[in-house]
Amino acid sequence: MTATATPRAAAAILVIEDEPSVSAFVRAALERRGYKVVQASSGAAGLQKLEAGSFAGVISDIRMPGSINGADVHDWIRKNRPQMASRIILISGDTANSETQQLLASSPTPCLEKPFRVQKLISMVEKTFGKP
Amino acid sequence: MEAANSRVLPDFLRGFAERAVKMLDAEWAGVGEILGSRVEIYARPAEFPANEKEREWLVQGLRQRRPGLEVLPLKRTGQHIAFYPIYASDGELMGTLCLARKASSFSRAEEKLLAALASHAALSMEKVRRFSQLERSKKQWVEDIDAISDYIAVHDQAWKIVRTNRSLATELGIPPAALVGEPISSLRHIAETGSALPCPFCRDTREAREEYIATSVGRTFLVSTSRTRGATEEESRTIHVLKDITDRREAERRYRELFDSIQEGLFFATPEGQFLDVNDALVRMLGYESSEELLRADVSAHLYPTPAAKARLVRAIAERGALRNYEETLRKKDGGLLHTMQNISAVRDALGQVVQIRGLMLDVTEQKMFQSQLQRERDFNQKILNTTQSMILVLDTAGLISYANRRCYEAGYRKDELIGHRLVEWVESSHRKDFDAALQTTAHGQQVDNLELRARRADGSLGHFSISLSPMRDEANQVNNVVVVMTDITDAALLQAKLAHAEKMATIGRLVSGVAHEVNNPLAAILGFTDLLLENPDMPIAAREDLQIILQETQRTKEIVQDLLSFARQRPTQKEPVNVNAVLRQTIKLRSYDFSSHGVEVSEDFEANLSPTLGDAQQLQQVFLNILNNAYDAIQESGNHGRIRIRTRRAEDDIEVAFMDNGTGVVDPERIFDPFFTTKQAGKGTGLGLSICYGIVRAHSGEILCWNNEGECGSTFVVRLPAATESSLAAAAKEAGR
Repeated sequence: MTATATPRAAAAILVIEDEPSVSAFVRAALERRGYKVVQASSGAAGLQKLEAGSFAGVISDIRMPGSINGADVHDWIRKNRPQMASRIILISGDTANSETQQLLASSPTPCLEKPFRVQKLISMVEKTFGKP
Repeated sequence: MEAANSRVLPDFLRGFAERAVKMLDAEWAGVGEILGSRVEIYARPAEFPANEKEREWLVQGLRQRRPGLEVLPLKRTGQHIAFYPIYASDGELMGTLCLARKASSFSRAEEKLLAALASHAALSMEKVRRFSQLERSKKQWVEDIDAISDYIAVHDQAWKIVRTNRSLATELGIPPAALVGEPISSLRHIAETGSALPCPFCRDTREAREEYIATSVGRTFLVSTSRTRGATEEESRTIHVLKDITDRREAERRYRELFDSIQEGLFFATPEGQFLDVNDALVRMLGYESSEELLRADVSAHLYPTPAAKARLVRAIAERGALRNYEETLRKKDGGLLHTMQNISAVRDALGQVVQIRGLMLDVTEQKMFQSQLQRERDFNQKILNTTQSMILVLDTAGLISYANRRCYEAGYRKDELIGHRLVEWVESSHRKDFDAALQTTAHGQQVDNLELRARRADGSLGHFSISLSPMRDEANQVNNVVVVMTDITDAALLQAKLAHAEKMATIGRLVSGVAHEVNNPLAAILGFTDLLLENPDMPIAAREDLQIILQETQRTKEIVQDLLSFARQRPTQKEPVNVNAVLRQTIKLRSYDFSSHGVEVSEDFEANLSPTLGDAQQLQQVFLNILNNAYDAIQESGNHGRIRIRTRRAEDDIEVAFMDNGTGVVDPERIFDPFFTTKQAGKGTGLGLSICYGIVRAHSGEILCWNNEGECGSTFVVRLPAATESSLAAAAKEAGR
């Protein structure tokens, strides 16, 4: 797929997910609907990309290996890119986890519980980031 | 003419008779000497009297007392017999002078001559008698002296032995006479007083009398000396009497030694309690330097802590004469107290007055202290035994109970069902072997600690007990008793079991949570890519149908994982006041059709005005529904006419919901809440229903329990949830409003 440089579609969606198969599925679903996708395989890589450029929105898994998890990414954005605070979608495989529950209870940020249907992903992305 | 001694008296008297015959012209004369009952006749010439009858008559006449001359005729011869009495100076009739002649009358001159002859005879007879008396008494005196067992030695001024008695001579192995004339110093080896004089028994020759002790090897003599002053120096005599007092001295020495060396205090005292003599032990006991110090008059005031104590002692002795084991506290010299035990006896005079008291005194301070320490220890032990929360029993080695502490009786056991009974009788039958083995081990001298077994309580219920057995040994180090400490740890055991279960469940929760998360990732990819494939319009119908199956199974897997996650959930999603009775009624309504159509009776026994609990009503409904479903399935399986009784009540700080059914019961109540533990047929459930209940109830800070009904079929599930308090309600409201 070739990314044509059109001014309207400049901003991509940053997908931060350590699980390659999940990341691949999200990317495929979004690109089929015309979104541009940039992938990061860890919280730290995600933050690097966020510092370097601007994105239409961020989709991040909560539980990830390494020093920075989804909650940290979420907090970083609210602190350093406040304009992006309402353009985050979290993904969780473990909503029973008390930390996850705390995070979700304290923030209006929407969350997709794994496993989720494509339709649910698209509708949440369109509602949160807008159509491509 | 002198009759110097008795041997010449008969001749002398015969001479008298001869002179009377000549001087008074008599044919016959004689002197009759009265010697007690006998009369000795000394006559000239000897032929008169002629016969026995005549002799008897004569003797009669000779014995008769008369004032002077008496003349009696003798018919046979025609003679006249004249009697003239011979009196001693003291008037005693010593004899009679008598003569026979033809003439019957005596002239005055003749009578005077007779009187002179009688008087002369009297003088001689008396002199002879006195002399022989003196001889006898002298002989008697020597015999008397010889009979004395003490040694007697008499010496003169020249230190020569004048006399010794037989006992001294016998001691020396020679006749008494052999020593006469020997120097008195030759007796030195018998004993000596230690003076420089030639006589070993003399000390001060100026003294008329002396008494002292003389000793020799192994013997002791009391020497009594008298000195007599004779008319001349040569006649002065010194008489020594040596009394062997070796035995007495020895007895005295032994007595004194015993008196002083004995460990008990001994004393002699006046009836008023003033010491007269004390032994060393008593001096030491009372802390004095010497007996002299203790014998001082002012001591007894110090000795008795109170004057009343002394008065009491004196009175008791006067009344009873002797005191046995009399306990008295005395004050030592340094003021310290001495506990004594005394045996005292009184010595009385002839009138019964107490003249002295004698006593033996024992220092019982240590015993007293030991005794009180023992008492304290005994009290202390008794207190421990009585106040401990453990039951303590003593068994003999056969296992029979001989002692049970107060706690046993407080726990409801009766004395008659414990003492003399075997403790093992109280142990549950399946544990008796263990108990007996432990008892054996202890009987062999080894301690057994924390043996856990079930035993019957006093009320008949079974309790969980921790039992420790310790051997108790006698003086010979033989185990003769076993001390058993029993603690009812039923509550503790229950708590421990709950903790272990909770821990297990938490571990399973963490595991499940991890697994669920890991499964969700691949599941997300499978579900996602299946969706993407199904979106593809070019997908053939057959493949589309297969993809639908993948989709369905993925959905099913998702549900299982979701259930697992609900089990592992740590807090309810909602926290609002929930009316448990209302939730229960709603839940029952959900199943009421099924229940009534299958003849299952549901009875409600709800406590009115039950406090709310804080939580998620929907989740709690899920819990109740699960339990009801479980009960329903168990009833169906049993084929019984089903009954489910649901009861709610306030139990301390909790709201307790109990579900009692009469189904088949539960195979393993311990594991019923474990994930995937199911006894149901495959396909009938995931086996996660009750695990989810457990997770939800735990998340509500409550507990869920299950047991099989005792004595009847079916099982009981109990859910306990904390009752909401004003503060918890306020906290929840604040949380919800944020």
